[in-house]
Amino acid sequence: MRDMHRAETEKRPLPAIRLRSSISPREKRFKRIAYLYILPAVVFFILLNAYPLITVLWDSFQFKSLVNKTLTGFAGLANYREVVHNEYFRTALWNTVVWTVLSVAGEYLFGIITALALNQNVKGRTLFRAFIIVPWVVPILIAGLTWTWMLTPDYGVINLWLVKLGLLKEPYYWLGELNTALLTVVFVNIWRSFPFYTISLLAALQSVSRDIIEAAAIDGAGIRTRFWRIVMPQLKTVSLTIIFIHVIWTAINFDFIFIMTEGGPLHSSETLPIMIYRYAMEEYNFGNASALASMMLGFMMSGFILYYLISVRKNRG
Amino acid sequence: MKLKAISGILAMALILTLLAACGSKGSSENGSSASPSASESASASASASESAGSGDSGKPITLNMWAALDSTEAGKKTLAKIEAFNNLQKDVQVNVQIISYDVMHDKLIAAINAGDAPDLTWGLSEWFGELNKMDALADMTPYIDKWEDKSKIFPNVLDAVTVDGKVKALPNYLGIRALLYHKDILAQAGYNAPPKTWDELLKMASVIKEKTGKEAFGIAGKGVRSPQELMMYLAQNGLTVADRQADGKYKNTWADNPDQLKKAAEVFKFYQDLLATKTIKSDAKTWGWEEEDQNFALGQYAMVVNGPWMEGRAKDNPDTMKDVEIAAPIYSEKPATFLEVAMLFPFKSDHPDATWKLASYLIGKDYQTEINYAGNSPRSDVQATNKWGKDFLALAPQGQVFPPVSLSGITTALEDSLARAMLKNDKPEVVAQWLSDAINESLRKTGELSGS
Amino acid sequence: MLMSRGKRRFLTIATYVILVGFSTYCLFPFLWMVVTSLKPTDLIRSTNPSFWVPHPTFEHYDNVLTRSSFLTFFKNSMVISVTVTLAALLVSIFAGYTLSRFMRFHGIKAVSFAMLLSQMIPGVLLLIPLYLTMKNLHLLNTSWSLILAYTTFTVPLCTFMMKSFFDSVPLEMEESAEIDGCSRTGIIFRILMPVSLPSLVSTSLFAFLNAWNEFLFGFVFINDEAKRTLTPGISLFRGQFQTDWGSLMSASVLCVIPVVLIFVFLQRFLIEGMTAGAVKG
Repeated sequence: MRDMHRAETEKRPLPAIRLRSSISPREKRFKRIAYLYILPAVVFFILLNAYPLITVLWDSFQFKSLVNKTLTGFAGLANYREVVHNEYFRTALWNTVVWTVLSVAGEYLFGIITALALNQNVKGRTLFRAFIIVPWVVPILIAGLTWTWMLTPDYGVINLWLVKLGLLKEPYYWLGELNTALLTVVFVNIWRSFPFYTISLLAALQSVSRDIIEAAAIDGAGIRTRFWRIVMPQLKTVSLTIIFIHVIWTAINFDFIFIMTEGGPLHSSETLPIMIYRYAMEEYNFGNASALASMMLGFMMSGFILYYLISVRKNRG
Repeated sequence: MKLKAISGILAMALILTLLAACGSKGSSENGSSASPSASESASASASASESAGSGDSGKPITLNMWAALDSTEAGKKTLAKIEAFNNLQKDVQVNVQIISYDVMHDKLIAAINAGDAPDLTWGLSEWFGELNKMDALADMTPYIDKWEDKSKIFPNVLDAVTVDGKVKALPNYLGIRALLYHKDILAQAGYNAPPKTWDELLKMASVIKEKTGKEAFGIAGKGVRSPQELMMYLAQNGLTVADRQADGKYKNTWADNPDQLKKAAEVFKFYQDLLATKTIKSDAKTWGWEEEDQNFALGQYAMVVNGPWMEGRAKDNPDTMKDVEIAAPIYSEKPATFLEVAMLFPFKSDHPDATWKLASYLIGKDYQTEINYAGNSPRSDVQATNKWGKDFLALAPQGQVFPPVSLSGITTALEDSLARAMLKNDKPEVVAQWLSDAINESLRKTGELSGS
Repeated sequence: MLMSRGKRRFLTIATYVILVGFSTYCLFPFLWMVVTSLKPTDLIRSTNPSFWVPHPTFEHYDNVLTRSSFLTFFKNSMVISVTVTLAALLVSIFAGYTLSRFMRFHGIKAVSFAMLLSQMIPGVLLLIPLYLTMKNLHLLNTSWSLILAYTTFTVPLCTFMMKSFFDSVPLEMEESAEIDGCSRTGIIFRILMPVSLPSLVSTSLFAFLNAWNEFLFGFVFINDEAKRTLTPGISLFRGQFQTDWGSLMSASVLCVIPVVLIFVFLQRFLIEGMTAGAVKG
């Protein structure tokens, strides 16, 4: 699970004897083994990922609409232009950022709190651990339907209780108002995803050496100092990795928003993947859909490369 | 090295082919065993195994049919009745595959795109224009013209499945909309009859709210039902979403015609008034069909324009559903209701005769009498056997349907226009103008805009 | 640890409060599902929904188990998920090993980048190209289509997990085996596998969970009820005009419980597996 990025930045000890310029027979053999071992993974990639990926890039420069066959052929940047000029493009872009940042931040926060709590020596730890894993194993479809129902104003249990407890004056349609729809889905998405962080961070915490912490405690470091100075640095690698992979997963996530709001009301919870879906499955304009998808891929890759460059520079410095 | 890699890939490919071979054995009914040829054309090509058997050799043709049946008793009964077709004759056998409406659309698009559509499928009327534009539907006109029961189909229903003079879909069942009202709630407020017009509704609403504490009315503000309702209100004010022009293409004409624009604005004003006068619950502005139906079934509000399926709710909420009665929908200028025509889509294949044989069974009197007896049959000679059905069926002649153009862009615009009117509180005139433009823009994108 | 008694007590209480709070947050929707599945139909959707069920009923479970194809769906999902897990594991052990040991080759670096890239494609966009691919391979409407697709989706993550585990295994172990004349594959299976059991378990759990919960492709690739998997199967309780919530919820509970049990029994491995890979960096 650890880092894709670390391996590049760190110098691994090379196995055994490595000759200067010419490639040794041993190295040659290694190379053969390496390619042989990776082959199955590559076959899967080529068969089911590379082809769609190339189709997407190709289609983004073509006029391709299922319902309007009068327009075909090379489109140049027309698809990109159309997508960028879509009334809701900027909203969707902004929503994607909000959705991704808030989700990942919330998940991390909840993850680290629960991981720290579970790392304490308290009774019933196993039971609590089991409870916290539950959201993660409930299929998204079912979780989405159940939450939607619970959040309904008129017969949903959450509104009923909030009103009974006096926290709300009258039932509120969390998923139906322009300013809360996206945030509500973020809340549910955090519910669903944070257990993954809990487990990862808990695993990391358990291998933080007790001796160091106790030594620090003897030196008079308070709880806060111990946490920020000793524990957090040890969690850095894991944290960066889960955050990194979740930023990707969250940005391209489609299910939760689609099941709960379909991007509405009035596109207020529409993210780029939802927009891609609309282009493809509602307007049947695969040219536009592909252009948007390519752009999104571009955004994410540039983010990735930027991050990589920064981390390389930091490592050098 | 490279050679090795290539041979490795070949070996993998070989394994995959073997897997494929055993895979398709299991699904020979699906006809996936040959003919990858049709993948280019969007038209649904016949699968080879079926065409092989289509001669006079006596081997039956197997048709794939998708049906959005559920696990209720009614669903099971329908399935049995469709499958009974297999015992009636030997030439054509149907293989029913149950696909819910939730995912049927996306699945259908993927299948059409790959030239792998079923022979016949259930579907929503909203998809008709699009499937037609994709050139995927089979022309059933010659069969319908020869069919002795043609005159038994309601004329406006037959219109709904006709595009450019060709019948390219068949009516499966109807969802006529009527005004449903909780008699007890009205009685409690001192009314013994429901309102007839928009104005009457608005006037009664405050009394109902005051005397019973409940809202008078319900709407769907989002989802598949909201464009249907909006179209109905537009029709009640004498408007259509898009009209066929002299060049055979379509256009929304409101922007060219101040009178029409004014009427469209009145419709949005009506929606805003519903909200402002608390005739509807404030959250109804973003209700989907589930909230609309469920709240009515729970007796949370007094009246709704809804379909015959609401009878099924009596099972889940018997106490709150027992006082429900049916009347004609309220209107403004002319009485109109939404006529939902759930369709059967026949896809292009090299055995249209077989497809018609099955389709004509499904729209035949026997099948329709047994399955769609509750006022939801497209046949005028199928009588409703219950009170509800009779009341609904009486409204069939004033039913309005969507124009046969690609609708998904248009329904999205209709849904957005409601949000603009009720969530963003844009002025009714502004919303009407915006919607007119948005409809024409959608028509332009699909190449159906008149004059373009 | 060195702490005043009062402070320690405060910490313990705080820990419990946090754990109870988060458990409630996590369990609440699941409990709601359980409660709903036990309610008689006329109490399920009411204006005053409650957690208390005066007369619990098993009619929905009975309906799901005896009058629907739930068991078939369950079996199909189980077969597919287990196959996917094994396949993904096999592929990613070798791929992960390669990424860990041979990153110095340019081709391998490229593959690792491609795998990362594949994580960035929205699934929606894969729908139509993959449908076409499956059709051309004559795999539509077979379990193989799902097995292939799910394996592809999970291999990158599993590979990265295995890689980070192998990173933490010292090279000396392999070198001594190599001197003893063990082949590379032999080294992986005889030397590395036995010490990596926790990692294998946690990787398998990921793969299994992904396959078990997937919905969209399961629905789009499969036509026949006899081959349908669990999540698409469950969604059939969302009927034409209304949802059969009782049955939907009981089916969901039956779908979730086995996975919860698996996770609870294997959670020690799960955490150990993550520890092995995650920290010794």
